[in-house]
Amino acid sequence: MLMGYMEGLGLVFQFGTLLAIAGGTFLGIIMGVLPGLTSAMAIALLLPVTFGMPPVMGIGMLLGTLCGAGASGSIPAILLNIPGTPSSVATTFDGFPMAQKGEAGRALGLAIVASFFGGVASMVVLSLLAPPIAEFALRFGAAEYFSLSIFGLVIIASVAGKSLLKGLIAGLIGFFCATIGTDPIAGVDRFTFGQLSLLTGVNLLPALIGLFAVSQVLKDAFEYDPSNKLQNSPHKVDIARPRFIETLRNWRALLVGIVSGSVVGPVPGAGGSIASLVAYDQARRFSRTPEKFGKGHGAGIVSVESANNALLGGALIPTLALGIPGEAATAVLLGGLMIQGVTPGPMLFESQSGIIYGIFLAYLVANFFMLIIMCLGIKLFVRVLLVPRKQLISAIIVFCFIGVYGVDGDVFNLYIMLAFGLLGYFLNRYGFGTAPVILGLILGPIAESNLRRGLQTFGGDWTPFFTRPISVTFLVIALGLLALTLWQNYRPRQQDAASGAA
Amino acid sequence: MAKDIGKPIFDLFLLVASAIGFYMATTLPAVSMAGGLSPVSFPKLISGLIFVCAVPCLIRDSYEWLVARRVRKAETALNATASKKGILQWLTIVALIIVYINVFERLGYLVSTALFCFFNVVLLVVVSGEFQKLSNSRKLRNLAAYTIFSVILSLVIYYVFTELFNIPLPN
Repeated sequence: MLMGYMEGLGLVFQFGTLLAIAGGTFLGIIMGVLPGLTSAMAIALLLPVTFGMPPVMGIGMLLGTLCGAGASGSIPAILLNIPGTPSSVATTFDGFPMAQKGEAGRALGLAIVASFFGGVASMVVLSLLAPPIAEFALRFGAAEYFSLSIFGLVIIASVAGKSLLKGLIAGLIGFFCATIGTDPIAGVDRFTFGQLSLLTGVNLLPALIGLFAVSQVLKDAFEYDPSNKLQNSPHKVDIARPRFIETLRNWRALLVGIVSGSVVGPVPGAGGSIASLVAYDQARRFSRTPEKFGKGHGAGIVSVESANNALLGGALIPTLALGIPGEAATAVLLGGLMIQGVTPGPMLFESQSGIIYGIFLAYLVANFFMLIIMCLGIKLFVRVLLVPRKQLISAIIVFCFIGVYGVDGDVFNLYIMLAFGLLGYFLNRYGFGTAPVILGLILGPIAESNLRRGLQTFGGDWTPFFTRPISVTFLVIALGLLALTLWQNYRPRQQDAASGAA
Repeated sequence: MAKDIGKPIFDLFLLVASAIGFYMATTLPAVSMAGGLSPVSFPKLISGLIFVCAVPCLIRDSYEWLVARRVRKAETALNATASKKGILQWLTIVALIIVYINVFERLGYLVSTALFCFFNVVLLVVVSGEFQKLSNSRKLRNLAAYTIFSVILSLVIYYVFTELFNIPLPN
């Protein structure tokens, strides 16, 4: 492990890598400030920029984006009462009242430092937990990998869509799209329609950009209303001085935030909004002055923002150790890793330990950059909110085009991007979600090849899939989760029916 | 309640698409694999599962839409106009993206991107009604600003990607 860290240090502490991490963090902050633009979209748009970079530099840039976007959602939440990201909803509870009292700078200073502490703590959690989990995963064979793929799909399907069935359909669409191209075992062409571009399957990048960027642009175009302009914040902030002492004085809230984020983070699909709301609720319970919450109390901001960034490291654990992302942003990051030629999973820890420890360190460095950039550039980031949506739509589409075309100069990929963009738009609009599609695209080949390889190994016998301990554990948990989600979906309907009858 | 008829229509689309997928999977060459599954099996299984999952979605969304249609009052003219405007804006963007894809290599990156950015902004402000509210002098000034924005954005992105990141773009 020590050798891995030494190698990782050498990879991270190079001028180009540090610059890439700083650049990614800066762009992530800008994306996080703009309401409606998600961190998943930010990573999808930045992916093409990382093509020519070495893995740690490229992934470091993407992690910087994730880190920046996770922290900067607090800026519009505090200044305008508009959460930049869903996980910043709880920041508005105390941040905006504080800004109204003329303490916007203090609120931002607390949010930035709390995000920093949360991020650093989550890196420690990530580096402690991911290696043993990956080591355990080395025992996996074909049956286990098949079951793990089903487990991952069920988990994300149960939380991403508005209903379990819709989430499952979205995941299955991803699975089906993954069957396009040359079959991995027999070498038969499937659904290629004579298109050479489809022989190697659906390219992940156009699918990612289509599902997360183009679909969002189409939504923005549909909802474009010129009368709906964001106004400049009346709360003037020249510089957000970091509030280290005050944040540490709220140590209870900080600890609650870090623990909440670290616990919720690895739970696939739980997401930032849940972590931040749990943290806020728990911080209020543990507080000696719970009555101050919601009226501009620093502890409220500290708990929420530390939870938001503590979540990221936790969410990276299953992504890096097992290759199973828990939500949209890490699903896109996983796609980015694969495009970089890095296949997440236990073997990565064995064969490329320098890269994996470099990734951990890059995440740590990204948190430091986030702290510095947020403190110095706060005035600029507030102004980003004023960029007109119509110009932003054009710029995002152009970025999408360059990103997709830049892969291999194939115009066909632009059509793939548009097709996934349209699919993503309708999937989001009608409550299916887009994260399961990406997970299906990534897990589909793993599930199919391991199922078929396993059956060949076991001589056509299905029973090892249900009798091998690790495999059956994944399948039982997946079944249990299916049952639980179905029950949760069913219960509100029953309650609605009962209240309607009364 | 599902007031949007698009929901059941999309479910129906999924149902039909999965049926087509299943049919197409049956036409693939079924190479027999010793002990294992043939290349046909997985796509058939997946499309079959999508079909099975889409049926209850279609039934539920259709029922909810019918109930919502019965109870709701007639949609106000304002809402209908806003919705029509949204659809028009959406269609405009989709059409522009299709045109942009088609001319991207033919006209080259710089010309096609500058044209796309200009028409995208102009059509969006025209369709949304923003443009009509402006005075004539303001209209001209805005058009000039959109032109400058389109050209500068295309040039800056071209320089950044071709020079700094070495990503080749069509000339």
